[in-house]
Amino acid sequence: MKKFGANPLLWLLILAMAILTACTNSDSNTNNESSTGDSGEKKEPAKTEDGKVSIEFWHAMSGTGQESIDAIVKGFNESQDQYEVKAEYQGSYEESLTKLRGVGGTKDAPAITQVFEVGTKYMIESGYIEPMQSFIDKDNYDLSQLEENILNYYRVDGDLYSMPFNSSTPVMIYNKDAFKEAGLDPEKAPETFSEVIEAAEKLTTDEMKGFSMLTYGWFFEQLVATQGGLYVNEDNGRSGDATEAVFNGPEGRNVFDFLDRMNKAGTFGNFGTNWDDIRAAFSTGKVAMYMDSSAGVAGAINNAPFEVGVAYIPHADEVKRNGVVIGGASLWMSKGIAEEEQEAAWEFMKYLTTPEVQAKWHLDTGYFAINPKAYDEEDVKAKWAEYPQYKVTVDQLQDTVPGYATQGALISVFPESRQQIVTALEELYQGKDPQEVLDKAVEGTNRAIEIANKTKK
Amino acid sequence: MNTTGSLWKRSVNGRTALLYLLPSIILFSVFVFYPMFRTIYLSFFLTDQAGNAAINVGFENYQYLLGSSEFQNSMKATILFVLYTVPIGIILALFFALLANEKLKGIGFFRTMYSSTMGVSVAASSVIWLFMFNPSIGMFNRLLQTVGLPQIQWLLDPEWALLSVSMSTIWMNVGFSFLILLGGLQNIDEHLYESSRIDGAGYFYRLRRITLPMLSPTLFFIITISLINAFQTFGQIDILTKGGPSQSTNLIVYSIYREAFVNYQFGTASAQAVILFVIILIVTILQFKLGERKVHYQ
Repeated sequence: MKKFGANPLLWLLILAMAILTACTNSDSNTNNESSTGDSGEKKEPAKTEDGKVSIEFWHAMSGTGQESIDAIVKGFNESQDQYEVKAEYQGSYEESLTKLRGVGGTKDAPAITQVFEVGTKYMIESGYIEPMQSFIDKDNYDLSQLEENILNYYRVDGDLYSMPFNSSTPVMIYNKDAFKEAGLDPEKAPETFSEVIEAAEKLTTDEMKGFSMLTYGWFFEQLVATQGGLYVNEDNGRSGDATEAVFNGPEGRNVFDFLDRMNKAGTFGNFGTNWDDIRAAFSTGKVAMYMDSSAGVAGAINNAPFEVGVAYIPHADEVKRNGVVIGGASLWMSKGIAEEEQEAAWEFMKYLTTPEVQAKWHLDTGYFAINPKAYDEEDVKAKWAEYPQYKVTVDQLQDTVPGYATQGALISVFPESRQQIVTALEELYQGKDPQEVLDKAVEGTNRAIEIANKTKK
Repeated sequence: MNTTGSLWKRSVNGRTALLYLLPSIILFSVFVFYPMFRTIYLSFFLTDQAGNAAINVGFENYQYLLGSSEFQNSMKATILFVLYTVPIGIILALFFALLANEKLKGIGFFRTMYSSTMGVSVAASSVIWLFMFNPSIGMFNRLLQTVGLPQIQWLLDPEWALLSVSMSTIWMNVGFSFLILLGGLQNIDEHLYESSRIDGAGYFYRLRRITLPMLSPTLFFIITISLINAFQTFGQIDILTKGGPSQSTNLIVYSIYREAFVNYQFGTASAQAVILFVIILIVTILQFKLGERKVHYQ
C-alpha cells in the first residue's frame, strides 16, 4: 500500500477528470455544431454513384407492412431518375423514436421518419422537423384529395405537420357462427354497451367468453371518444396546452363500468396486452367478440375457421355515436438536412398519396387509404366484393362526426398515459373499484403532463 | 528540489503500474465512470422531452420515488423475484453438476444437455416460453387440460405472473451456473475422496465434508453473480409481461427502462438507477462480509 502512495491515486483522479471533461466538451461541441448547422450554410445532399439524391426512410412496419413498403419504395425508385429512397426498418414505434432522438435535428437524421399518432405533439415540439405545410404551400398541393377525417387528427392549429400514412381505427370483430348458435342475429352486431353485455351473456359458454378487449390504452381512448368524451382539458389539447386529464369523467366511467360488469359476470375474457394472444383467442374460439384494429381485419378473416363479422365499436346507451379517432402513424420530414434531400422526401410523400399506391397499401395491410380515390381502383372494388367486412372499417371512419373528441387528444406524454390506463384496466380486472383505478390513472397522467409543461422551453 | 526528486523516484513503481493500468482506466472511464456520474447528475434534475437536464430539483426525484407506491411495488417485486430465482436456481444447478460429475459412460451428452440453456439467448428463450405460456394455444394449458386441471392464466394473473417469469428465468440461468459449478467440482483433488473412502466415509458425508467446502469459492462466486444478475433482469420481463399485469412483474430495471425510454423521464429513471446501484452495492458488501468467512480457499 505504501509503495503506491497518494501520488498515483491523485494521477488517476486527474486523468479520470480529464476524460470526463473531454467527454462533456465533445458533447457540447456537437450540440453547437448542429444548432449552428440549422441556421445557415448549405449542406451537401447524400448522393448515389450515378448522381441521384439518396434519402433514408425510417419505418416501424414489420411483416406484411414491411414487404409492402419495400415494394412501394422500389416502385418510386423506378418511376423517376432523380431520387433514390432507402427504406429501413427501425423496430417498434417506440424504438424508432428513441433512435431518432439520437440524431434528430442533425444532418445524420433520416429525411423521413414514421412516428405513431400519439407522438405527434412530441414531434412538433422537438424542433427536429420541417412542417409539411411549408411544402404543401410551396407546391400548391391539393390537400382536399386526402381523407378529411384522417387529416383532422394530424392538423394542429390549421397546419399539417406530417403526412398521414398508415391509418387504422378500432372495430369490433365477432364470430358469426357463435352468434347463430346463441340464437343471435349474425348480421346485426350489438351496438350499445348494454346490447354488448346482453349478447356476451348469451354467447358465453364453458369454452368461450362473450367479449374481450386488448389491455391497451388506445381502445379506452376510442370508447371515450365515441361518446363525445374528452381525454384532456383545453379541448383535448387542441385549443391550448393541456394541463389536466379529464378521462375520469362520466364517459370514462361508462367504459370502466361496462368492462367491470362483464368481468364480474364472467363473460369477459382477459387475454392480456399482446395483440397476437387476443387474436389467437378469437380464432381458436375462446372469445366471441373482441375489439381489434382495422388493420387486423384481414388476419382475423383469414385465420378463423368460421364466419367473421366486423362491426362499429359500441357506445354508451344514453349518447349518440360520435365515431372513432384515427390511429396509426404519419411521416415526418427532418429539418437540418440538405434541401435537395427535403425535396426528395416531398416527392416520395406525394408518390405515396397517389390512389394506385394507396390502393396497394390498403389491400396489402388493411390500413386505410389516405386518398379516398384509392377505393375506386378496380382491385379494391374486387376485394371489397369478396370481403364486405373491409368496407365496414371505411364506413365507420367516414360516418365519424368531426369534433374535438374524435379529433383525438394532443399531449406529448401519451405513451406514459397509456401505461397508466393499462395498469388501471389490469387492476379493474382484479376486482378493484372502477372510479378508484380511473382516478389513479388520471393522477399519474397529470403528473406527467405537469413535468412536461414545466420542462418545456 | 530534493523532496520532489525523491518523491518522483519513490513513485516510480506507482507510475509504472499506472501506465499498465492506463488502457483499462480509459475504457472504464468512457464506458462506466462517465455514464455513472452522468446518471447521478441527471437524477437531481427534471428532463425536457429531448432528455436534457432542464430543472434542478435537488432530492425531489428521490423523495417522489420513495413515497410512490409504484416504486415500492417494484422494489417488492424485485426482491421476491431474487428470492424465487437465486436459491432454487443454484440448488438445481448444484444438483445437476453433482449428477454430471459422476464418471459414467456417455456423461458428456448429459453435460452438454444441462449446460445447453447457456447457448440460447434470453430473447430467443423468452419467445419460446411466451408460446408455452399462451392462454389459448400454449403447451402448459393444454397439458393441464388433458390432465383435467383448471387452466392457469400464467402471465395474466398477477398471482402467477411473477412465478411464471421466475420459472423461465431459472431455466435460462441454470446452464451457466451448472457449467461453473461443474468446473469447480472437477477441480477438487481426487486424493481427498480416495483417502476418505479408505476411512469409510459415505456419499453424503463426503458431500458435506469434502465437496461443499472445496466448492465454496465457486459457490460464493456463482451466488454473487446470480444475485447481481437477478437484480438486473430485463429481457424476459420485456418480452413476457412488459411489467404487467397490475405491475406485478415490474422489476426495477424494467421500470427504469420504461421511465427513461417510454416516458422520457430521465431524471426519475436515473434516480431509480442510483437506488438500484446502492442496493446492489450493499448486498454485495454484506455478502462479502458475511459469506466470505464461510468460504474455504485452498
